[in-house]
Amino acid sequence: MKHPFQIRIMNKKIVRNIFILLIAIGLGAFFLALLGPDPARAWQAFLLNFLIWSGVAQGAFLFSTVMHTTGARWSYKVSGLAESFAAFFPISFILFLLLVIGRDHIFPWLHYDLHGKEVWLNLPFLFTRDALALLILYGLGLAYLYHTLWFKLGSLPPRGKIQALLARSWGRTMKDERKSRRRTSVFSILYMTAFALVLSLLGYDLVMSMDSHWYSTLFGAYTFVKAFYIGLGGIIILAALLHMAPNSGVKLLPAEFIDTGKLFFAFCLVWADFFYVQFVVIWYGNIPEVTSYIIQRTMTPPWQTLAWIVFISGFIAPFLILLNRNIKARPTAMLVVCTGVFIGIWLEHLLLLGPAYHPDAAALPLRLSDGLISLGFLGLMMFAVTSFLSTFPDITRNKPGEVQ
Amino acid sequence: MPAEKYMLGLFINEDQAVEAVQGLREFSWPLHKVHSPIPSHKLSDALGLKKSPVGLFTLGGGIIGFFTGFLLAIYTALQWNLIVSGKPIVALIPFFIVGFEFTILFAVFGNVIGMLVLSRLPRFNNLELYDPRCSGEHIGILTSCLPEHQNQLAEFFTQKGGEVRVFETPVSDTDHE
Repeated sequence: MKHPFQIRIMNKKIVRNIFILLIAIGLGAFFLALLGPDPARAWQAFLLNFLIWSGVAQGAFLFSTVMHTTGARWSYKVSGLAESFAAFFPISFILFLLLVIGRDHIFPWLHYDLHGKEVWLNLPFLFTRDALALLILYGLGLAYLYHTLWFKLGSLPPRGKIQALLARSWGRTMKDERKSRRRTSVFSILYMTAFALVLSLLGYDLVMSMDSHWYSTLFGAYTFVKAFYIGLGGIIILAALLHMAPNSGVKLLPAEFIDTGKLFFAFCLVWADFFYVQFVVIWYGNIPEVTSYIIQRTMTPPWQTLAWIVFISGFIAPFLILLNRNIKARPTAMLVVCTGVFIGIWLEHLLLLGPAYHPDAAALPLRLSDGLISLGFLGLMMFAVTSFLSTFPDITRNKPGEVQ
Repeated sequence: MPAEKYMLGLFINEDQAVEAVQGLREFSWPLHKVHSPIPSHKLSDALGLKKSPVGLFTLGGGIIGFFTGFLLAIYTALQWNLIVSGKPIVALIPFFIVGFEFTILFAVFGNVIGMLVLSRLPRFNNLELYDPRCSGEHIGILTSCLPEHQNQLAEFFTQKGGEVRVFETPVSDTDHE
């Protein structure tokens, strides 16, 4: 008979291998698409997945900084899970740098007359500012993580090499608790500010600019609100999976699921609100160069069907389902709802980017390779998150004296 | 038979009040009412109260408000019948704002009406069995006993960490809850 610890290690290995397999599938699909007749499709799918998976990591991590800043005491375990998404930050940065290779396929405006916009929309400036912005965002996030980990794990004996390395570093830098707490708060506020600014910038540069003659000043805010929405969804999916997995060591109370679900529900409304406030202004203004963007995506085939699917899966369905309190307490139900929303937001990215890449599409430009590339990104994300949780298994443990 | 004495146990601590409510079950003294200045799940659980249906009033108010707002906007637009900037007279996109605002307003109305109906407020009887401190920082547990048990009941409340107020006023209507 196997010892429970052995079973746990075996399960971990199996899970790890599944993630590696997903990454391999994604890589294979990407290279196959790249060598196919339309290599642009591979890079466009790469960009879409970079945006959505980076958004999940950035938005999920924001949860921890928000909870810290507001002094929330209910969310200790959930914050620990949120912090694990920081492991995707370095991967996200590398993925962004890889976009340079596919630049000719992902920026349609390279071939357009930009009528003065070339001051902003030129590749050297775009990649420099966005790389710098991501460096600042991720740097602030990791600085916050370094400090908050000290409060959570500093008093425990280090487990493994990375924790031992951190413990030595903490021994040199973290001496005064009051000062360290203040520094943690400063980094959390700076991360939140950078989150809004950097995601706005990425929204303008990597999504809005694809239709280079269209503009909406609210697009940046819409982008970062959406990232927090799917980030919360990512946390709930991770929490539900770990909660349901035997021997994961993570068990959440129904109240913790309900409260996180309430935030998810709230940001479902905020996301829809940010869509509506852009939409109603465009509707009132009725300026052809602005309305054409909306008309193409909501009233012309094949995009109109997709627009309805996005609206229903991203707002109508979660709104109606999450009105019910009991559903928010059920990990399985929340897993299904959040996955549905994630697929909806994935399709929303396709709706925003697709018409710019395929203006004359007769059918939705969806291929099997798009799904497989997404699976690769899913594998990357899960690999990073589970590696983090294996390195810091105590991050989701109950803090003595915390409100439950 | 001698008239019952009404007694209010006043607790500043929620957990002590909960303990007192649970402890009263071991005696035959009736628990008439609990006044709390804050909503307390612990007290609701101790009293065995079911979930309040006031949320249904709120939901009903919200749904009525949503359609009322839309219909009001449509009705007024049709009354004026003015075409502005080439927009249709009945334009559902901007009317959504009116519908949304009415949803919030009527949901609040529904909530307040639901609370008044379910609490059967306003109520003008039994005011003499109330202590204004229950609108401040105290939780009040109203119970009654025969005069010979008065000391025992007072001791019970004191042991649980509360103060005791005995109502001397004869009570005509005992609206027990």
